[in-house]
Amino acid sequence: MIRVEHLTKRYGDTIAVDDLDFEVHPGVVTGFLGPNGSGKTTTMRVILGLDHPNKGRATVKGKPYAQIRDPLHQVGALLDAKAVHPGRTARNHLRALAASNRIPFSRVDEVLDFVGIAAVANKKVGDFSLGMSQRLGIAGAFLGDPEVLLFDEPVNGLDPEGIRWIRDFFRSLANEGRTVFVSSHLMSEMALTADQIIVIGRGKFITQGSVDTLTATAKGSVRVRAADHEKLRGALQARQGIVANLNDEALSVTELTAEQVGQIAFDAGIAVYELTPQRASLEDVFMDLTADAVEYGSSGVRREA
Amino acid sequence: MRRELSLSSIVRSEWIKFRTVRSTLVGVSITFVLTLGLGALVTSLVRAHWNSTNLANQLTFDPVGASLVGVIFAQFAVGVIGSLFITSEYTSGSMRTTLTSVPRRLELAFGKLIVLAASMFAIGEVAAFAAFLMGQAIFSGVVPTASLATGSVLRSVVLAGVYLTLLAAFAYSLGLILRQSAACISVFVSLLLVLPLILVFLPQSWQNDARRYLPAELGRAMTSTTTPPNDFGWVSALIILAAYVVVIFVVGTSMFIRRDA
Repeated sequence: MIRVEHLTKRYGDTIAVDDLDFEVHPGVVTGFLGPNGSGKTTTMRVILGLDHPNKGRATVKGKPYAQIRDPLHQVGALLDAKAVHPGRTARNHLRALAASNRIPFSRVDEVLDFVGIAAVANKKVGDFSLGMSQRLGIAGAFLGDPEVLLFDEPVNGLDPEGIRWIRDFFRSLANEGRTVFVSSHLMSEMALTADQIIVIGRGKFITQGSVDTLTATAKGSVRVRAADHEKLRGALQARQGIVANLNDEALSVTELTAEQVGQIAFDAGIAVYELTPQRASLEDVFMDLTADAVEYGSSGVRREA
Repeated sequence: MRRELSLSSIVRSEWIKFRTVRSTLVGVSITFVLTLGLGALVTSLVRAHWNSTNLANQLTFDPVGASLVGVIFAQFAVGVIGSLFITSEYTSGSMRTTLTSVPRRLELAFGKLIVLAASMFAIGEVAAFAAFLMGQAIFSGVVPTASLATGSVLRSVVLAGVYLTLLAAFAYSLGLILRQSAACISVFVSLLLVLPLILVFLPQSWQNDARRYLPAELGRAMTSTTTPPNDFGWVSALIILAAYVVVIFVVGTSMFIRRDA
């Protein structure tokens, strides 16, 4: 279990994380979602004791990370797959990690095998593709068989087979009762991977909930095709409906339910050919929630996260 | 089975890291090439010109210092080894992985220092003794030679290895502060090469006083069998050089603990 308590982290004048407060529980995959630059990586860095917070604190299983005596046995983390010395072989990289936490070398070969890079174990890490590096990073995170796992944008650089593999891996870890905390800026990915989602934007907490509750609370729309769109538009707008033209000659109505739209059309004597409630996708919810919180919108110059 | 971090597990891990990168291998090879190669070159030249050397110079000739001349150049190689041992963790980003497995930064800084110092001591001593013995072998028959049976000679050769160890530790400590390979190596080389040049612009009386505090001069005092006037004796020189290392290491480690990784 991970607790982040009123965490604030500044870099110079920039506030990367602003009074963030949440918990990550065992037994489920928790997605950590936010646009690029919203503070996901900073939060993870503070959880892992790499950066010191200005205010608040983060604990893993009740302790600040730096006070854990056997860190790799408790927590596995993959922040940046390329954060390895390029001149070292995969096996030696993992052996050095293993030695520091008194993990037997036999475990190194086990995890290399498990992530599917045993064949390149004696190759230099600098020659690895991003996908292979991600697998090596996952091997390192899983080395001490930890109960808590953190992954920052783990699907980056993975091929479709790898993405599927990693989703199943997260699922099985959560099913074993472990705490799995996975960040992403991709809503669609989170919808497939996570059970619980924590959404942040510009370093601030936005919302938290299961994928289902998040979509349920979002405003859906109603798609309607009728005999007289101009007349119907007027009638709907008179009842506070917001109407947009869809490109295939139908109208999209928000702020009104399908029942209300049908009733209004009936009252106005307009024949309705099609009436479909449209459920918001998680993607829409995310765009909606973070619309104000996108630090580097498309109008501005984009910076690397 | 115990599975907690300790200084010994950190040392074991850092030892694996130290010996599994090419830069260490290259640095150690260069250390040997410089100490032995330059030692052979200089001692051979001395031997070849011995009979045309004037008597005064023959009488003050130091066969120990001449055979260890390569150590002065090997100091740059060990400086690079010491710098890269820490700065490559920052340039490659592997420091984040290292600190995730070993969040105890004080113990980590010490563990790395132990691995570096022990390795460089072994390498430095082997190189110094090899250079000394090779030099005496080249001298023998023509130039007067020194013997390890003489206390001051043995001490000089041992301290040549110690000098290289301290310089590697010094460069490593600078790396804790500077974190970038290029910056660290430049500062290290500047301290050894540029500082003596700057001293030339000081008044003569200051020069004499300041010069003996330079690392290379301290090294010369440590490895010399005699103590020339105006110089520190080997004990003082050793203490001063070690004090430099301690100060830089303490500053570097406190910054390492305080800063974001």
